[in-house]
Amino acid sequence: MKRYRLQLMVCAGTGCVSNHSVEIKDALDREIEKHKLQNEAEVVFTGCNGFCGAGPIVVVQPDGVFYQLLKTADIPHLVEEHLLKGRPVKKLMYSPPAEKIPIPKMSDIPFFSDQTLIALRNRGMIDPEQIDDYIARGGYKGLVKALTMMTPDEVLKEIKSSGLRGRGGGGFPTGVKWESCKHAHGDIKHVICNADEGDPGAFMDRSIIEGDPHAVIEGMIIGAYAIEKVHQGYIYVRMEYPLAIKRFQIAIKQAREYGLLGENILDAGFTFDIDIRRGAGAFVCGESTALMASVEGKPGEPRAKYIHTVERGLWERPTCLNNVETWANVPQIILKGAQWFSSIGTGDVSADPWGGSKGTKVFSLAGKVNNTGLVEVPMGIPLRDIVFKIGGGIRDGKKFKAVQTGGPSGGFIPESLLDLPVDYEELTKVGSMMGSGGMVVTDEDNCMVDMARYFLAFTQAESCGKCTPCREGTKQMLDILDRISVGEGTEEDLVTLEDLSNVIVESSLCALGGSAPNPVLTTLKYFREEYEAHVKDKKCPSHTCRKLNTYSIDEKICLKLGHGCHVCVKHCPDAAIIGERKQVHYIDPAKCSKCGVCYDVCNFKAVQVA
Amino acid sequence: MVTLKIDDKQVQVPEDTSILKAAEKAGIWIPTLCYSELFEPYGVCRLCVVEAVRGKRSRVVTSCNYPVREGINVLTNSPKIQWIRKTILELMLARWPNVKVVKDLARDVGVEKPRFVSLQRDEAEDACILCGKCVSVCREVVQANVLGFAYRGIKREIALPFGVQSEACIVCGACAHVCPTGHIKMVVEDYKGKKPEFTLGPKTAIYVPTLQAVPRVPVIDADSCIHFKTGGCEYCAKVCEPNAINFGMKDEVEEIEVGQILVATGFDIFDASAMAQYGYGTLDNVYSSLEFEMMLNSTGPTNGQVLTKDGREPRSVAIVHCIGSRDTNHHSYCSRVCCMYALKYAHLVHDRTKASIYQFYIDMRAFGKGYEEFYVRILDKGVKVIRGKVAEVVEAPPAQKDEGSLVVRCEDTLAGKLLEIPVDMVVLCNAIEARRDSDAVRRLFSISKSPDGFFLERHPKLDPTSTMTDGVYIAGCAQGPKDIPDVVAQASSAAARMLSFISKGEVEIDPVRAFVQEEYCSGCKICNSLCPYTAIEFLAEKKVSHVNEALCKGCGTCVAACPSSAMTGHGFTDAQILAELDGIMV
Repeated sequence: MKRYRLQLMVCAGTGCVSNHSVEIKDALDREIEKHKLQNEAEVVFTGCNGFCGAGPIVVVQPDGVFYQLLKTADIPHLVEEHLLKGRPVKKLMYSPPAEKIPIPKMSDIPFFSDQTLIALRNRGMIDPEQIDDYIARGGYKGLVKALTMMTPDEVLKEIKSSGLRGRGGGGFPTGVKWESCKHAHGDIKHVICNADEGDPGAFMDRSIIEGDPHAVIEGMIIGAYAIEKVHQGYIYVRMEYPLAIKRFQIAIKQAREYGLLGENILDAGFTFDIDIRRGAGAFVCGESTALMASVEGKPGEPRAKYIHTVERGLWERPTCLNNVETWANVPQIILKGAQWFSSIGTGDVSADPWGGSKGTKVFSLAGKVNNTGLVEVPMGIPLRDIVFKIGGGIRDGKKFKAVQTGGPSGGFIPESLLDLPVDYEELTKVGSMMGSGGMVVTDEDNCMVDMARYFLAFTQAESCGKCTPCREGTKQMLDILDRISVGEGTEEDLVTLEDLSNVIVESSLCALGGSAPNPVLTTLKYFREEYEAHVKDKKCPSHTCRKLNTYSIDEKICLKLGHGCHVCVKHCPDAAIIGERKQVHYIDPAKCSKCGVCYDVCNFKAVQVA
Repeated sequence: MVTLKIDDKQVQVPEDTSILKAAEKAGIWIPTLCYSELFEPYGVCRLCVVEAVRGKRSRVVTSCNYPVREGINVLTNSPKIQWIRKTILELMLARWPNVKVVKDLARDVGVEKPRFVSLQRDEAEDACILCGKCVSVCREVVQANVLGFAYRGIKREIALPFGVQSEACIVCGACAHVCPTGHIKMVVEDYKGKKPEFTLGPKTAIYVPTLQAVPRVPVIDADSCIHFKTGGCEYCAKVCEPNAINFGMKDEVEEIEVGQILVATGFDIFDASAMAQYGYGTLDNVYSSLEFEMMLNSTGPTNGQVLTKDGREPRSVAIVHCIGSRDTNHHSYCSRVCCMYALKYAHLVHDRTKASIYQFYIDMRAFGKGYEEFYVRILDKGVKVIRGKVAEVVEAPPAQKDEGSLVVRCEDTLAGKLLEIPVDMVVLCNAIEARRDSDAVRRLFSISKSPDGFFLERHPKLDPTSTMTDGVYIAGCAQGPKDIPDVVAQASSAAARMLSFISKGEVEIDPVRAFVQEEYCSGCKICNSLCPYTAIEFLAEKKVSHVNEALCKGCGTCVAACPSSAMTGHGFTDAQILAELDGIMV
């Protein structure tokens, strides 16, 4: 491999690519050629860096200088200053909100410094399409160790005692799952990687695959070896992730070429291969039984899991299904040992595999925080640290309201519980869940009724419709929430809503229905006063539910600042605004349909909401 | 065996039994909707939920597919379960307020009015309630895999692939049978422009051929049985307690040695679609005589009622004689029975409906005992009898639809007038004709046929039951059109002839017959095929032909044909004939 003085790691995660990071790379290449630095500096496309809110991102290695929010126009200056003259460009660096001093090194930025990387350890460091990059960072060492120095039972024991639990949502102890699959009757068994990441706003699995696909493949090979009688694995990726599919295809091809997949892996007499199966876009296919039905070519609908998939799964064969992040953790556990892994996190898993949450968890931090992106934190970290330290607090100095964890079926956690350690049991106790790791932060401008309605609308639309409570019940819940948000709700509706939610949780066929009411239940529990304001006073405290608002025009602002600009009149669909140009405007409440367009278009903030 | 408690009642059942089955054994009722014993539990209606309690842990599970576990206590009607069931039925009732099965279940658990209003409300009494029974039965029992679900969530619906009638559908009706609301229906409709066989409704694959069948046991129709189409189902075998269903049974060929045979193979009826002017096969409510006979039968498809295709009583019925009979284009003979059954039809239609009845005849042939009297009776009832052959039957023009859906055009040859009569139903009196396979039968028994296609008797007047082949007799319409009294008389006569031989115990044969002089026979087999009585067989081991003397009639055809003069008639050898000639000439 050729060596360079400097390597410029350009983030090619989906967020940065949509912010034109490909053009940034082209510009860098051009400038480097112009200054004849081709032999000194190399530009590398990497997977997602994680700090998506700061994209496009370039990290200059080996110094680790972090440049953010780049534009192609910045590149000539950057190359000239940093690469040629050795003077890092301060104005392109990150500075924390409310501070003016830029932080040059990536490792010093709080967003990164408070994270612990296991699953994401290669992020931004390697070219995901080069197996050599992965191997250079210690990749496939775990596999070598497992296949050449350990028996399958020893591998299983290591995973069991590490306390690793399923990162896809359920939190089932991975070692226990592997063991059940190992002991299940059957001559042919399968492993599956669940990469059908359907939660809106979640992109943990996508980033792992796009940034480090070999980690997942290595984990699956180790798992197949430990479970035994497994010679074929499947990766189920959703069709909406074309880049992830491409990276997997390349990685599988390279692994086969290196003898890491296929017959007689590493001459250890073990045969295993992986195929990719593409999901067609149903959220419910992330549920294990529905996923397996889909792999078999049947409609993606769940079935009762009274007989577990580890006993009768894919094609009625014992099948071990784990999530992308779970598989990605496996090589590190084998390499560094169960003790190292279980030293991170909460509780004690030596006696009870459910006794604690070990290792790290990747969250996609989104919503009203300053630093949005992908974060990997040790289990047990207080929620407050994620939101305020890593996330950098609430944007524009607004007040924090709640954080929703676990994707669209997770619950909202209020400020009073912000010191809660992030751990499977703790999150479940307060009515939310770990889920696959979505984390949406809301502030005082968010209406909790509207948030609950938004997430329920998603799960309702994604319900497969197989069982009655989920199909009929979620629709009824949504209808009730729709009524509440337009001021037609009654106090009785709140009782019905809660009652119906509990029936759906108790009686649904699969976890989609079983968890869909969580956003409603938690908001009803922690933010009941907001619901009551909607149904009793017919008011939305955060003015999000527009049908409950009353719009009026402040005469002074309209006339003095706007000089009766008339813009609102042009946009009003109901012709409810009266007033001539250069005169004061008024809203006729009888005609106003409360669409709020006037509020949005007024450049002088003359339209008042109450 | 697993021991568990259901509502504090101890039950012992085999492993892998579902809680629902165990409860059934304990005599405890659990409501179900999507469950059927026919297929694997689908577990989607969620009405059969129960609480499975172990120690302090309680879990809500569906009893139809949750296997029993040792030592658990199952609560089938706890307050929590009642609450869940009620809410689910409220949801269902809100969406399908008029479906009987939903209403009944709701009433059973005490739901009168749901708390919800559904925006997807379907008021139909036969709405699809998405229980999935039809899909399961089609997939697991019939194994045709035609039905499935389309769309998801609240938009879910039962669908055929791409929404079109599937070639894979074997029209077994299993889906309609299991559908709890009647949403799926069987409809008899023209398929690819061809009129279906006259079945008037679905026939099950297992049926008793007729109520008068002997022995009166059900048979399986292999053409419509699902098992013979897909290899699946076998449900009848599962439910038959005496274990009498045998799918392995096949048609067998049995050889029985007999001395005499009576050929009574019957007749076919003339296919009236060959006479396009009468609209048979193209117009609704034009029936052949046999179809109408089925309709009149009290065990028939309409239970003996006279009904038009859309289920109404006809206002008028036309009965048209001589369809294919006495017609130089088809059969020039008279079918002999039509006049009388046409009068019988008129009698029955008059009895069962208020319809006005028209008879169109060429000549009224009421020749038997009491027949003419019956004709007079019919005339007295007010049946309109018109002498004249019908020219055509057409669909009524819109202006005449009020009086009848069809119009019969004919000339009343007695009044010398052209008539156009609107009717609702036309019954054609099809000719009797020889069976389609009569040529094959004829060759099999070495008998002849007359120009009309019916088997030829030895003598039309003096021996109407025997044929030119000894031991082979004919009777009934195989010999020629005739009515029941004539058939009975002819068959009795044939039976008597046959019995006389049986009681005698031996057969007299003519002494004149052929035999083979084996030393001269070259084995050329020319004689074998020439013999009209199939009396000559070839002995393969001796390589010579041999005459069965019981069959030989001594006609001499073979003697004349034999190229090596090996075939000779008894009493007519060359030597004997030459000796006779010598005698004459001396």
